[in-house]
Amino acid sequence: MTVLNRLDWYDIARNTNWTPKYVSDQELFPEELTCAFGLAAEAFEEYDEPYKTTYPEYVKIQREKDAGAYSVKAALERSKIYETASPGWLAVLKSHFGAIARGEYSASSAECRMVRFGRAPGMRNMATFGMMDEIRHSQIQLFFPHQYVSKDRQFDWAFKAYDTNEWAMLAARHFFDDMMVTRGAVGVGLMLTFAFETGFTNMQFLGLAADAAEAGDWSFSSLISSIQTDESRHAQIGGPLVQILVKNGKKAEAQRLIDISIWRAWKLFSILTGPAMDYYTPLEHRKQSFKEFMQEWIVGQFERSLLELGLDKPWYWDNFLKEIDEQHHGMHLGVWFWRPTVWWNPAAGVSPAERQWLEEKYPGWNETWGHCWDVITENALEGNMAKTLPETLPVVCNMCQLPINYTPGPKWTMRDFPLTYAGRDYHFCSEGCRWVFEQEPGRYKDHQSLVDRFLDGQIQPPDLGGALKYMSLAPGEMGDDALKFAWVEEVRAERLKKAS
Amino acid sequence: MALFPLTSNFQEDFVLQLVAVDTENNMDEVAAAAAVHSVGRRVKARPGVLRVRRQGASEPFARDLKVADAGLRPMECVEIYWEGSTANLREPRH
Repeated sequence: MTVLNRLDWYDIARNTNWTPKYVSDQELFPEELTCAFGLAAEAFEEYDEPYKTTYPEYVKIQREKDAGAYSVKAALERSKIYETASPGWLAVLKSHFGAIARGEYSASSAECRMVRFGRAPGMRNMATFGMMDEIRHSQIQLFFPHQYVSKDRQFDWAFKAYDTNEWAMLAARHFFDDMMVTRGAVGVGLMLTFAFETGFTNMQFLGLAADAAEAGDWSFSSLISSIQTDESRHAQIGGPLVQILVKNGKKAEAQRLIDISIWRAWKLFSILTGPAMDYYTPLEHRKQSFKEFMQEWIVGQFERSLLELGLDKPWYWDNFLKEIDEQHHGMHLGVWFWRPTVWWNPAAGVSPAERQWLEEKYPGWNETWGHCWDVITENALEGNMAKTLPETLPVVCNMCQLPINYTPGPKWTMRDFPLTYAGRDYHFCSEGCRWVFEQEPGRYKDHQSLVDRFLDGQIQPPDLGGALKYMSLAPGEMGDDALKFAWVEEVRAERLKKAS
Repeated sequence: MALFPLTSNFQEDFVLQLVAVDTENNMDEVAAAAAVHSVGRRVKARPGVLRVRRQGASEPFARDLKVADAGLRPMECVEIYWEGSTANLREPRH
């Protein structure tokens, strides 16, 4: 039997814009769930998805992808990557799986919103595949780490993290809930697919895939490369939406949602990807610095696509470029110093050779971050371990939920960005996070940060033990220095060598 | 007497921290409480007097001023710095 070519029937099959008889169009597509900025359905008829695929094609390709990733895993199961990987690399795996795996499942519900409430048939079609992609990503990223759970309880956080009040998870969940779970279909298309997936998942998935391959972790490398091929397809849902909104006088609305999402994604990735690339990945396996990767993928490519679609660079772009140089160093130091409160063992990444690399990649590192690490290193050398740990909480931002931090040392540029709204004082890490709050205070005003909860008496007893219990961190799960301070011995050896 | 939470921005440190003080504490005591969490942990100790000022203020609070009389709001950010250091000239980012 002759089968028609896809292009001969695709348009007819996917055109599911029916005329409702029993309900009004507004009831079928309420503004809150479509987020169409009041534009009529006709405005979206021009939507032309850049990537066309059919269900049989999708299933065939996905089956091949799954077969590829699972067969690599099966083939390497006896390779003892867990036993042979550097402790820093295990930190990359644990932080990644915990922060991402269940978020992917959450993303599938966001894709569902576009499937049901997207105004354009092509958008609904692509989102259907996107929805299935995200279910796959969640399943595969839970399945892969599960093999390590019996060896290391921290891997259990691949599943567990999302249900806890652990602080980094609070931050990830606050962002994911904001930009994908609680937005209408167009909002999801702009904030999740265009801003977050086009702009930032490249960072986590391509960047780490390269580092994984270098580190010899082929299972993880093939897993996240496989995921990225899906992301790069369904990330294209947002582009045609931007064009339609700009054409119909809704550029400011589109720009606002994209600007919010880019800023928020940046903050999360500065703690998730920055430390992984510049501190956890063993020095000999680093492909590019986090800053170089950001400049190539975000500053270069993403900035260009914003302008090509008729949008502007976000108003905070100069601040953002400056932060690329600095912010993640503080995020890393914060994670490491408050290490009992995370579900992975962060590698300090400040041995003499690593510090030299940091100074090369980030000129001035020794005069800023290096000053803090000097004090930590001296304490560790003297066995004064209590001083390498905190006795209070960092103040966290009421938007990104991450510690408010910035460049230390003689420059000392850190400050609070406060705001009083409806009688309550809020604290932000940056102009960007404060601006996001001001765009829609009603959306954010009732959320309590971890510090707010502590001051409210919700964390009992009000000490580290109470905080760890509140964050569901059991013994055997709390983080510690990945190398058990072996890097300090390198410092000691170097000093002895110089002295002799 | 009552517990009073403040946000400590300690000179040359990298992170804002929660510091619990008492409304009867004077500013020298506030500075000492903040120093516990920064000096010797991530900031090198140095001689000199620590002063406390409101974020953005050019002048510090008087050393014997009590927290209760300073007009601070709970969790307000205060800067703790060594008197006479160049921190007086700092220009916060953005």
